[in-house]
Amino acid sequence: MAFTNLMLVFIFNLLYLSLSSGIEIPEEFQKSNHTNNWAVLVDTSRFWFNYRHVANVLSIYRSVKRLGIPDSQIILMISDDMACNPRNPRPATIFNSAHEQINVYGDDVEVDYRGYEVSVENFIRLLTGRVPPDTPRSKQLLTDEGSNILIYLTGHGGDGFLKFQDSEEVTSQELADALEQMWQKKRYNEIFFIIDTCQASSMYEKFYSPNILATASSLVGEDSLSHHVDSAIGVYIIDRYTYYVLEFLENVHPNSKRTMSEFLAVCPKSACLSTVGVRKDLFNRDPSKVPITDFFGSVRPVILTTDPINIVETPKRKKKTENKTKVQVKRDYVPQFPMHLVQVT
Amino acid sequence: MYQSNRMWASASFVGVLIIIGMPLWWKTTEVYRVSLPYEKISSFKPLSHFVTTELKVLANDDATASKIVSEIQKAFAESDIIKIKIEKTVMSERQQHILRSVVDMEKAVEELASTLDLDQENIFHVVQKKSLSHNIWVGNERIMFFDDEKASETIVKALDGWIYQTSVLRGARSDTPDQARSTRFPPESAYHITLSIVHPRPDTMQVVWNAAEAVEDYIGSFVDELSSLHNFTLKSQWLHLLDFEFQAREIKEASEWGRHFAVRQDRLSLLLTRLEERAATHVSELSTINLALYIVPCDKAPIIIYDNEGRKNPLSIQAFMSPKWGGVVIASPPAEQCSQQVREFEPSVGQVMGAFVSHLRELLGITKKDAIEGAHLEPLRSVSPRRWEVDALLRIRTLEQVTSAERTLQSLAQLLEEISNIVINDEVGASIAAAVSELEAGAGEGAGADAARAGRAHAHAQRAFTHPSLLALLYFPDDQKYAIYIPLFLPIMFPVVLSLRILLLWFMGKPVHKEKTD
Repeated sequence: MAFTNLMLVFIFNLLYLSLSSGIEIPEEFQKSNHTNNWAVLVDTSRFWFNYRHVANVLSIYRSVKRLGIPDSQIILMISDDMACNPRNPRPATIFNSAHEQINVYGDDVEVDYRGYEVSVENFIRLLTGRVPPDTPRSKQLLTDEGSNILIYLTGHGGDGFLKFQDSEEVTSQELADALEQMWQKKRYNEIFFIIDTCQASSMYEKFYSPNILATASSLVGEDSLSHHVDSAIGVYIIDRYTYYVLEFLENVHPNSKRTMSEFLAVCPKSACLSTVGVRKDLFNRDPSKVPITDFFGSVRPVILTTDPINIVETPKRKKKTENKTKVQVKRDYVPQFPMHLVQVT
Repeated sequence: MYQSNRMWASASFVGVLIIIGMPLWWKTTEVYRVSLPYEKISSFKPLSHFVTTELKVLANDDATASKIVSEIQKAFAESDIIKIKIEKTVMSERQQHILRSVVDMEKAVEELASTLDLDQENIFHVVQKKSLSHNIWVGNERIMFFDDEKASETIVKALDGWIYQTSVLRGARSDTPDQARSTRFPPESAYHITLSIVHPRPDTMQVVWNAAEAVEDYIGSFVDELSSLHNFTLKSQWLHLLDFEFQAREIKEASEWGRHFAVRQDRLSLLLTRLEERAATHVSELSTINLALYIVPCDKAPIIIYDNEGRKNPLSIQAFMSPKWGGVVIASPPAEQCSQQVREFEPSVGQVMGAFVSHLRELLGITKKDAIEGAHLEPLRSVSPRRWEVDALLRIRTLEQVTSAERTLQSLAQLLEEISNIVINDEVGASIAAAVSELEAGAGEGAGADAARAGRAHAHAQRAFTHPSLLALLYFPDDQKYAIYIPLFLPIMFPVVLSLRILLLWFMGKPVHKEKTD
């Protein structure tokens, strides 16, 4: 019974993939007016049995980096307690498939918020820009009015909330308010919001800011399921929705002509066992004409210099006279035995 | 008697709980909010701001002067973005003599500078000089020479496109960004400029370059002219062993190298990603303008960039820039150096810094000037920007900061009104009040003298909007407040409220209980 199911899923996938390559690619894409790309990837859970959530996020991180978004424009928030967890039979690695082919943790992962820093307060502060004044630039979301942002959330969720670190929740209303404040401060051009949790679509139901395209792995009342277990590691290793998303992204390269509507249809109910939800009423472009690289790739406009300045005379800046006198620093040895600290009676 | 004791006891409960307790609870659980000038903020109109400037027209006779002035006035009459105060004069005999006798344009400007005051900011001069080779001539100082009254159309075009840049001003004020606004860095009080020299193979070649001196002299002299707008911190660093695979195609040709390597333009953005990994731009909390000099190793030299249409870059210096990031110059060593045993490469400082300064100009807001028929713009020969370019930049930045400050305050006021449980503490209130007062003081006036005021207003508005205390989830929303207090106090209030009826009857003298009748 399970085998026939598996065969059906396999055949369906084959058919789907072969069909999708035959889909007509639109002739011209609707012109995008973004000037840079950012990604905010958040894993809201911790503890060993939530291994799959970290694998989810890191796999998306690897895909997004491969497609061109630099580390300086990716904010990665994970609790980072997986790779060096004492229960990990493969220390310093995180795999996203039972074949253990790719170590998605790698040696060049740049985690911006780790451990208990992944909290609701920090997440909302990151989105709205109201960070404490001593926050380093690598932990700030320095987007502007021309930025396209990819937001990916995964973890445990419920109807109208998302659980952070097993102790607090962010509600869909708070998230909608945060995105509205981003819109008011012109901190984004367009947002693509992906969420892979149980009852995920409740999180985007309350959005009311323009230019947001949202997709969720399950509708309200449904659970998102995990894909398979790695018996060597002993936990579920990846979630279904993210597994099929990664399969799709493997065929995407920086010059790809795949569209967003193909991405939104990436996991049919037979594969995901939960219905993928999409919200496109706030998005004013047609997703079938939007290339996937608008959100997953990186735009860096480059303008060739055609008129350098022909400097005739060498300038010399007037040096401000500095009144610093060089003091010779005297160096001395510290006494070997601190007898001066011991009272000699 | 017992009844009156009981009644007084109930009345005291009612008094303490309802009359004293409830107002006390309401007052102590209210959110601390400093009062804000909401009416003033909502009365701001960001799209109504404009800049003012002065123009002096000098001609040989009154008729020409009047004609030019009327043409300019007609052209800028309906402009809502700039208001020009025009003054016309007939030139004195001495001035006319200078202009007739001196042929060289730069010298004419120098001589004339003693009679006119060309150093005053925001004042531009349009002066007639007969027998020009073009209709008009514009140089580095705040002066434009025109031939005769037939040049009036060219004068208007040059004033619109070069001197006042009305399209860029409009873009600075508008809601949606235009090309110039997407290229230049957002307005801030200070920037860092980092010059990185990238040397992928230090073992094969020695590069002779004094980075600290180059940055200090060339970039330093440039940014000194902009010191009224921003502060700059200049840094330089060497990045060794930073390699990048250009995926260049070798093309054989007849030159000293015998070949060149063609690099496609779309590959260059990946170089920026590679540079960002090691350029350490996140060290400061201010925005950093990155300037990188990439030294090509001998076996991959020379590199020539081909644009997206496949055309070769004909210039001797291969450079490109990325909006809101910085610029890169790719320097290839000459063939003779590479054929020697000990290779030493000294890139030409003037050429490289010339490219970098042109990048800096665009990144800080000085746009390229399109060619206008009949008008001659003297090409730049030094790092300093033209005086009238600095004036234009001041105007653009002032307009941008004022409109941005107003929009920020309006959206902040809307947010604070909508979410009623955000605490507005004294700091935020003070920042908002300071921003509003600066904007009011500068209302109706234009630019120039108010660049500092616009900068302060913008900084205050930004500080108020991004203040870390303005976080709704730090404070209890109303429904949660009730959810805590109602289970605590509602059971107590039940008997108190129910006894109110009996109390009222007792106070009014009516019998409390129904008399038992047989």
